[in-house]
Amino acid sequence: MKKAIGDNMIPKEWGFERGLELVKKAGYDGIELWLGDVPWFQMATSDSDVRELRRKVENAGLVVSNVSTGLHWATPLSARDPAARAQAARIVERQIETAVLLGTDAVLVVAGLVTEEVPYNEVYQRCLEALKLLGDKAARAAVKVGCENCNSEQRFLISPREFSQFLNDVGSPAVGIHLDVGNIHDTGFAEQWIEIHGPRITRIHLKDVLKHRGRCGDQSVYTNLFLGDNNWPGIRAALTKVRYDGWLIAEMEARYRYAPDQQFYDTAQAMDRFISGRL
Amino acid sequence: MLRREFLGFATGIVTMPALIDFPPRRRTVVLDLQEHCCLRESVAGYNAVLADLSLATRRSVVIVPAAGRIPEAALQRIVTSVQAGAVVILESGAAFASRQDLRAHGDALRALEVRVSAPVHLWPRGTPYVDYQWPRAAKLRDFSRVIPLADHAGEAIGWIDGVPVALRRQVSRGTFIFLGSPLGPALWAGDADAKRWLLDVVRS
Repeated sequence: MKKAIGDNMIPKEWGFERGLELVKKAGYDGIELWLGDVPWFQMATSDSDVRELRRKVENAGLVVSNVSTGLHWATPLSARDPAARAQAARIVERQIETAVLLGTDAVLVVAGLVTEEVPYNEVYQRCLEALKLLGDKAARAAVKVGCENCNSEQRFLISPREFSQFLNDVGSPAVGIHLDVGNIHDTGFAEQWIEIHGPRITRIHLKDVLKHRGRCGDQSVYTNLFLGDNNWPGIRAALTKVRYDGWLIAEMEARYRYAPDQQFYDTAQAMDRFISGRL
Repeated sequence: MLRREFLGFATGIVTMPALIDFPPRRRTVVLDLQEHCCLRESVAGYNAVLADLSLATRRSVVIVPAAGRIPEAALQRIVTSVQAGAVVILESGAAFASRQDLRAHGDALRALEVRVSAPVHLWPRGTPYVDYQWPRAAKLRDFSRVIPLADHAGEAIGWIDGVPVALRRQVSRGTFIFLGSPLGPALWAGDADAKRWLLDVVRS
């Protein structure tokens, strides 16, 4: 397995190249690029500028692990407004295009957002229709769309069997799951998700979660690896069982307040320990 | 257009071609305004429900889903259909239309003697339902943006927070129904109450 970390972890004032140096120095193999979340990689970034990003990544001795985006939180594929949905689909298309330009074969999509306003049945149908079309486009580009399990935040596809049924309904080999082992918290167990989805896992996000540790005992909060309640030996064993040998991508929601570069080193070391199975 | 003009609107109309032709054995037609339909899933919703409709209806039914700009030919067909005794459901999708199409939509509605207010974005709100009182009492999901009715209290059949958003009117032998909150997307999403409500209208 290979290690990566998101470029959205790079302090904005550092800039991309200095960030890449740190990522390499900390021992990562690759970097996850976040479309729309960092100043150097926006929807308006031209193809030639995207190629320039790839050149910088490769010059730093790294590769791009995948293309992610947080843009779908504001503009989801499940929006009721057709214009917003068209924009959401365009974001995925741009992810696919840039994945090809960057030399990677996976994109992360937050597929749908259930809200008080937009109910579950609508979200399911819209995501299904959108991903069938986008799956075709991804397949033609030899790219896989990984729908991320943002269980609590999305309020959508909350159980692993439900997620599996959704992927069955999409019915595209180019559409799978970008599994975040930290996002499951109160709704199940990451090792069970891994076992159920196995070959459909496109990439894995790593982070830990403190369950029910909020002030009132009713909140779960994200934290660094090994500090929370994820069953890491179980997760590691499940990855072996399903023969997952792809990218592990650190997604640290909580940043170090001081010495932000230290988080890159600490996380890389924890990931090495996880990969080695010394748990 | 005045009511008597609406009633007399059919006089001298040339039947519109393929756009909304009634097949001889089919009495329920979804009139797809194509680029003037603001919500394609609304067309899909009505088609899905009507495909299941095995019973013959008492009267011809014309459904215009998610209308934005209403072309003159379609407007004429709406009027002639009502005149001929059909039930016509005109669903507005204009809250999702461009400013120009919204204006054109309002002009067309005035020709049908329906006066509406500016679109309202409903959310955030507490109760996500439109309350219908005819043909059955039903709480059906709103669709985020609504075209409220102005001055139609006597004919209103559906309300959001007390504001009328749907009306029914007898015109000659026919029935004209205006929906200011799109129903088609709820049908498309499989809402059983929305389906029952529509089937009751179709069979009325």
